Amino acid sequence: MEWSIAESGTRFTAKLSDSEGALNLADFTVDGQQKAHGEISIARDSQANRLLVEIDGSAHIAHVAKVGDDWWIHLDGRIHVVTGHEPGSSSDSSGDGGLTAPMPGTILEVHVKEGQRVREGQTLLVMEAMKMEHRIQAPKAGEIVSLNFSEGDRVDMGATLVELGD
Amino acid sequence: MNELPFNAVLVANRGEIAVRVLTAAREAGLKGVAVFSDADAKALHVEVADEAIHLPGETLTETYLNSDAIIEAAKSSGTQAIHPGYGFLSERAEFASAVKQAGLVWIGPPPEAISTMGDKISARSKMMESGVPVIPGEELSVPDGADHLGQLAACAARVGYPLLLKASAGGGGKGMRAVSEPKMLRTEYEAASREASAAFGDGTIYVERLLVGARHIEVQVLADSHGNCIHLNERDCSLQRRHQKVIEEAPSPVINVELRDAMGAAAVRAAKAVDYEGAGTVEFLLSDRGEFFFLEMNTRLQVEHPVTEMITGIDLVLKQFEVAAGMPLGLNQSDIGITGHSMEARIYAEDPNKGFLPAIGELAMWRAPAGPGIRVDTGVREGDSVTVDFDPMLAKLVVHAPTRTAAARRLYNALSDLRALGVITNIGFLRQMTMHPDFLSGSITTDYLDSIDISEFAESEPDSASLVAIAAAASRFGLDRTGSLGGDGAMVDEHTGHAGDPFRTLSRSFP
Repeated sequence: MEWSIAESGTRFTAKLSDSEGALNLADFTVDGQQKAHGEISIARDSQANRLLVEIDGSAHIAHVAKVGDDWWIHLDGRIHVVTGHEPGSSSDSSGDGGLTAPMPGTILEVHVKEGQRVREGQTLLVMEAMKMEHRIQAPKAGEIVSLNFSEGDRVDMGATLVELGD
Repeated sequence: MNELPFNAVLVANRGEIAVRVLTAAREAGLKGVAVFSDADAKALHVEVADEAIHLPGETLTETYLNSDAIIEAAKSSGTQAIHPGYGFLSERAEFASAVKQAGLVWIGPPPEAISTMGDKISARSKMMESGVPVIPGEELSVPDGADHLGQLAACAARVGYPLLLKASAGGGGKGMRAVSEPKMLRTEYEAASREASAAFGDGTIYVERLLVGARHIEVQVLADSHGNCIHLNERDCSLQRRHQKVIEEAPSPVINVELRDAMGAAAVRAAKAVDYEGAGTVEFLLSDRGEFFFLEMNTRLQVEHPVTEMITGIDLVLKQFEVAAGMPLGLNQSDIGITGHSMEARIYAEDPNKGFLPAIGELAMWRAPAGPGIRVDTGVREGDSVTVDFDPMLAKLVVHAPTRTAAARRLYNALSDLRALGVITNIGFLRQMTMHPDFLSGSITTDYLDSIDISEFAESEPDSASLVAIAAAASRFGLDRTGSLGGDGAMVDEHTGHAGDPFRTLSRSFP
């Protein structure tokens, strides 16, 4: 199993070794490279969804919940999302040019045409979601390869709004 | 025992405020009646109610904004009083009138007070008459198809830049846009009037001078039907993002006794000018030179009312019930003190790393902190879905401590203990905020969050080895297959999520 944290593209692996009910981190890689790591030992707590985590000799409690492929982790007052990826799955599809709808909503304005060149940060579309307007901006300079919606269209979350080429 | 004018209260709202008011009703020995739409059939506010009435239909207009259906629900269930909460129908004078005409008790101010204060023009002129200072500004009503740009530019020039365009019927930051210079006027106007029409069905815009570097100070007032009117000190809501409040506190860190008395007296004058009854809030902007200007009066209970309750020890919802029942306040201005300091953080399902875009999902884990000086007003519980149907505010985390510094630390700890997993929230951002030197020094003004780089509040890089090891271990232990119901053993009311504090609640009675 490969893992990623938050929405970063970096992939991690972890090998755990069993010792008296606890699991110790035995091997840790970052994008295929072996990395040094602290002494990390994890044991189950009697309470459901709670783990006792020892990091370099200090004790912590982690609460976890799984939603889809994501492990949500509450550790030291912070909330993290760690996503599991089946081995061999392609690297994250975001960032390769598709701009997706961050929320379900309605397209209010379309500012670009197919074939048009845009600069980084340029507003491509304006959509309305949850009664607020959101500008969809170009994450990089490039050419509009395809435009999938027009003004007034309803879009679902994750729908690809614009394909942006180089 | 005295005969009460009502023994049941229908709450025409949803979410945390419905839970708050229904709980108060139950505590007062009244029956709490909820209304709910299809999407809310399993919502917390339905669960805490003694009775819940379904409002059929898909849109808000058919459900929570449907005056006729709500009044009918009250009548058919034999409920004599209606509490509107905030938002929805709370500031619709026609609804207040309709409730009264139906022979029911309206737990709110007189309809005339709502309509005078609800219209920014009439509110302004009333305030000017009453000697309450106002900000330069004018209203712009453009009929469809008219040449709005000429009129708008002329109006903007009279008011002066920078300025603020707001929906006349607005609130909650919707349909509100700041314009720093003339060339931005057109685009911002179009966006504002579109948002205004979408959210309120009325595209009329109010153009107002934007005071830069000002603080948002609001004064809680309480009035009865016997002519008594007092104020319950101020709340400082300067920490805002796009006119949405983020953290509110009471008292304000910058107000001294003289200014508090002056603003309090102005707020009481404002309330008396419209023969106000019940709980209301007079909002002011306080300039960096110490002048204050009337912004608007909210003729309802405010989201951030708990911080006032914490420092004064007065339950505002209970007072609303009493005033609606025709009872005198039983309080003089001299009875109102300030005990300690209180802060409220609004917990939103939104992603600070993506421009605070609303987030959706299922609350796989929702465990709120409890303990001395911690109050959580929540509308959600574990297992609930967060959808785009409603406002993304999940809960309010309120703390009370002897000093401001102690309150900030308590808020930080409480935020750290709030385990909301499954939906992205602003909790991490709020934690960073409560520890930020600008917040701790009390120097925040209303333009602060919109002018600072938000990455200032980003959390540090996590230790990836620990997190990945935890996720891998959780999978190995099979924690994804166990139910998440475990219980914390904390002394929390299973219905409300509030920490049961017998010393606070036992002293209350109704009437």
